[in-house]
Amino acid sequence: MSRRDVVITALRGEKPPYVPWSFRFTREPRQALCAHYGVADEELDQRLGNHLVELGSDIGFFEDLGRDKHRDVFGVVWDRSVDKDIGIVCDFPLKEPTLEGYAFPDPLDERFFADIEAKCGRQPDCFRLFCLGFSLFERAWTLRGMENLMMDFLEEPEFVEELLTRIADYNLAQVKKALTYDIDGVYYGDDWGQQQGLIMGYPRWKEFIYPQLERMYGLVKAAGKFQFIHSCGDVDELFPDLIALGLDCFNPFQPEVMDTFALMQQYREQLSFWGGLSTQSTLPYGSPEKVRRESERLLEAGSLGNYIFSPSHAVESDVPMENMLTFIETAQTQGAGIMISGA
Amino acid sequence: MRTVKAPNDMSEILNTLTESIKAGKRKDAKAATEQALSENIDPQQILAALTMGMDDVGRRFKANEIFVPEVLVAARSMKSSMELLEPVLAESGYTPDHTVIIGTVEGDLHDIGKNLVAMMLKGANFSVVDLGTNVGAQAFVEAAQTHKASLIGLSALLTTTMTAMREAVALFREQGLAAKVMIGGAPITEQFAQDIGADGYATDAASSVDLARSLVA
Ligand code: B12
Repeated sequence: MSRRDVVITALRGEKPPYVPWSFRFTREPRQALCAHYGVADEELDQRLGNHLVELGSDIGFFEDLGRDKHRDVFGVVWDRSVDKDIGIVCDFPLKEPTLEGYAFPDPLDERFFADIEAKCGRQPDCFRLFCLGFSLFERAWTLRGMENLMMDFLEEPEFVEELLTRIADYNLAQVKKALTYDIDGVYYGDDWGQQQGLIMGYPRWKEFIYPQLERMYGLVKAAGKFQFIHSCGDVDELFPDLIALGLDCFNPFQPEVMDTFALMQQYREQLSFWGGLSTQSTLPYGSPEKVRRESERLLEAGSLGNYIFSPSHAVESDVPMENMLTFIETAQTQGAGIMISGA
Repeated sequence: MRTVKAPNDMSEILNTLTESIKAGKRKDAKAATEQALSENIDPQQILAALTMGMDDVGRRFKANEIFVPEVLVAARSMKSSMELLEPVLAESGYTPDHTVIIGTVEGDLHDIGKNLVAMMLKGANFSVVDLGTNVGAQAFVEAAQTHKASLIGLSALLTTTMTAMREAVALFREQGLAAKVMIGGAPITEQFAQDIGADGYATDAASSVDLARSLVA
């Protein structure tokens, strides 16, 4: 069975031959792993045996403005002097609660589709996931400033609705084009959670976010593809709504903020999970033995399907090499102890 | 000559002020403050009405009845009221009893939670010096000395920057700072606070007010 089919089997809630996995790393650990395996960056996913190939551009494209400042295609300026991966918003275009005078970028910009063929060529048997990061709420707050947007929810609800509608329009146009390629699923990244509960609270999520998700997931489901999302934080109160909208797979599935094992049981055959291995405690602070035990427990729980094994979030630089190799090898040698893939 | 307000009118104005803070109505809060000042109500009583409003906001936030948007509009209402009140308080020789230095530790840029904590502390009538994000340990020491702070609040949202928190607390101890240290942020636990020798830990902005009050009591 190809890796693509292993993922599809798992997503359908059927028992896969083994639990598929797909790992992500921030820049430093990625470099360390490349050095460890002696492979080039573009060979790493294949070496890890990742089952998903991530297409499109998760966080978009940036123009280097010098002195660690980078402008994204939406006109938001990010300062990367401290965090090198994304950075932090230091200037945003919507200073007032209006879209007047603001032009959205081109959703069909060739760069979003440029690497699809090459990546699929390098990992031909992987499940193909077209990714859009900062896909709704996050796009809105980066454009308007987090605190402004929060207050706009209460004071300028019509503006917020218009802004979110326009962002969803942009997403829909891009995804429509992506669906003309041979892809298997679409992934929308958008963080709604904090360590406890939703940043904006459930009533506002339902009022503002839900209607746009309905449009966004609707397009993907109508095309017969799998719908993935990513939202950090404590958001499991949303699962019933998300399932109703047609969601297939939820990432990052953080064990610090949700009861992962109970949720896997509760939502069996309704929702799949991708993630689950603790990046806030086990990976940075646990022993390799603890990493192995936690990985094995997840692989066991996911053996019936509805699960893709991974750390809950991209692995950061505070994770020791030994711990990284431990979860990678645990995945690769699961079950009969045979090397399923990689190498 | 100073005319003394009848207690009934007075409590009505102050009540309006408290309610407009709770509801996050900035214009109403401002108008009520203006009225209270023009009626010569004791500025400390006006301040108490503001604090009462913010306390209620904190309580409902902690109980998940309201969320970050409501807290922000409440805090902004308080701010516009404080802008009018502060000069009058200063004139009457009043200063808050305690100063808190707050900031997000070195290497960490998350500030939404830290800002909320700062706002709630202001609402609880602490004088707050916010050093922003990515703040080195030495900068906290200097600010604590300059402002004779009784409290330092450290925020960290990343496991990778929790070490910076540990180092900061070690430096404060080494320098013999009198200020108490409280910490918070998503990955922080009570256990971690104990391990690094911080004086307290709080899970959210409202609890951080309770914690701050108990640490300076
Ligand atoms: C919004 C967010 C961002 C925004 C930050 C915007 C901003 N201006 O702050 C952006 C997109 C910039 C961002 C960037 C990154 N982030 Co981030 N982010 C979050 C997210 C989703 C929410 C944080 C938040 O604002 N919550 C809302 C506020 C109200 O809550 P709070 O911060 O917890 O604060 C409350 C309490 O903690 C407490 N508190 C906070 N501070 C203090 C201080 C004191 C003294 C006290 C008493 C109490 C207290 O009171 C607050 C109010 O109630 C969290 C998810 C999560 N689980 O928290 C991830 C999260 C913190 N981020 C994470 C990561 C990995 C990153 C990046 C490294 C991503 C990357 N580059 O790949 C960068 C790092 C940048 C950097 N160097 O700092 C991870 C951290 C994992 C880890 N190993 O620790 C998290 C946990 C997500 C996850 N799934 O793993 N992020």
